[in-house]
Amino acid sequence: MRSEGAVALRFVGRFVVPALFAALFTAPLWFMVVGSLRPVGEPPPRTLELLPPDPTVAAYTRLPELIPLFRYLANSALVVAIAVPVTVLVASLTGFGLRLLSPAARRRAVLGLLAVLLVPVTAVWATRFELFRLAGVVDTYVPLLAPALLAGSPLLVLLYAWAFGGVPESQLGAARLEGAGWLTIWRRVALPQVRPATLAVAVLAFTLHWSNLIDPLLYLHSGDRYTYPLGLQFLRLLNPTDWPLLMAGCVVATAPCVVVFLLAQRILLNDDPLAALRSGGRR
Amino acid sequence: MTSDRGRKPLTGWAFLAPYAIAVGLLIALPALLNVGYAFTDHTGLTRDPQFVGLSNVRRMFNDGFLLDSVRASAIHLALAVPLRLLAAVGLGLLLAAPRPGGRWFRAAVYLPTVVPDVALAVLFLWVLNPLYGPLNQLLGLFGHSGFTWLSDPDTARLGVALMLMFPIGEGFLVVLAARRMLDGRLYEAAALEGCGPFGQLRRITLPLLAPVLLLLAVRDTILTLQVNFVPAYILTDGRPANATLYLPVYIFDQAFEFSGFAYGALITTVLMVVTAIVITALLLVVRRWRVLR
Repeated sequence: MRSEGAVALRFVGRFVVPALFAALFTAPLWFMVVGSLRPVGEPPPRTLELLPPDPTVAAYTRLPELIPLFRYLANSALVVAIAVPVTVLVASLTGFGLRLLSPAARRRAVLGLLAVLLVPVTAVWATRFELFRLAGVVDTYVPLLAPALLAGSPLLVLLYAWAFGGVPESQLGAARLEGAGWLTIWRRVALPQVRPATLAVAVLAFTLHWSNLIDPLLYLHSGDRYTYPLGLQFLRLLNPTDWPLLMAGCVVATAPCVVVFLLAQRILLNDDPLAALRSGGRR
Repeated sequence: MTSDRGRKPLTGWAFLAPYAIAVGLLIALPALLNVGYAFTDHTGLTRDPQFVGLSNVRRMFNDGFLLDSVRASAIHLALAVPLRLLAAVGLGLLLAAPRPGGRWFRAAVYLPTVVPDVALAVLFLWVLNPLYGPLNQLLGLFGHSGFTWLSDPDTARLGVALMLMFPIGEGFLVVLAARRMLDGRLYEAAALEGCGPFGQLRRITLPLLAPVLLLLAVRDTILTLQVNFVPAYILTDGRPANATLYLPVYIFDQAFEFSGFAYGALITTVLMVVTAIVITALLLVVRRWRVLR
């Protein structure tokens, strides 16, 4: 009797409660997709609608008529194509650097990093803008690469540091004895062992750069250079109440991020994420 | 004889150099420049700023909008950081254990984090719409008449905090990994001693994760001060009645909309000091806990 109750309770704890939270966190996306499938220009229903009665893609066909959708998407793709490799490069170099430091030095490096990260990015907007203005690169994509040089987010450096932690000291030493330089070791010995980490970092970097609104908002003035998030903001100013249209715009912004994320969730959200970051090479 | 031992750490630092240079040029230098510009009349449009002494500081002390802005940011911090931390840590610990389909539960929780913040904000304009928005309709199912959300100061603040409850993936991921690094034998021993799940949480998990949780709290405090720009800019643009005129929004207005570059620099310096104070207070509180234990 009692054990049956315990089994039921365990089931609730292991599956029902997590499923409720999963539903809660996917609900906004569900509303986004459902909202985008409603007919354009009609007043939305006043009651909750979990499935659209007559789904239509009219909002999506209307999008390119109102804004230069494909130009914005191409601009975003260009920025991402440059920014993601730079992010991966900086994050992997930094992560490998942390791996090579002695524990005491590593603690000092991390503390120094934390001290710098105490400066909120908002706090350097204006003066960073001034520096880019003096360099004459306002209204180009150069300032949009600034976050890439900072490895996107400290989390990405952390992911690489965790992954490189699994590269055995003996391998590094053996490669050194064979006369390899540290850059060669990084490229030939360390990186091939952490391919899943590289994929995960690239995916997260993609979502960060693809989503960037603040930098384009500050630096891009010519309409034909707008990236897609800025285009979406533009669309909102044009049609503040056309909800199917706005939701379709949001779906277009979100879909690439969700697709690449699904590629990496196997690694990032594995039962044992640390092992999953390293297991690569021969899979 | 010291060459081998001495060279290795040096190489580590060399690998850190690109990042360090970027941090120096893109964060440290602008942060320092703020302090200099704060005492000039620079507008952001001209080239030669003049030194004007403390006139910006005097202006700051008579600025009612700034007061509103500081209050809005403080309320937002007090509201959003605990909620976000609770969600990230709670869900991280809840979903860390392996189970069939476990990865998909985690993926669902991480999903809102990969949604571009501008899309999430536009989505929440819709979700929080008083007439047609799903949230009020959901409340309607329970017989509640709903709120006007973004047109009322209190619910507008709540609305922004509510939206920021969703993108918690970074903290969630760190908790998942940190929980995984704890020694399973500790839990077996605790179970043998008759320590239930809540006892294990209180006696083992939370104390061992304390440094990670502290790091997350610090990071989230900083992040919350800056990430609330996009939602506030899209959802409310500081309205209603300056309730969501968070410091980043006010700085943005001053520096880029009102040609008050120097004044924006001064407020920015204040923001940095406030951040430092909040973080120091956080560290002190935690140190006190340690002493008590």
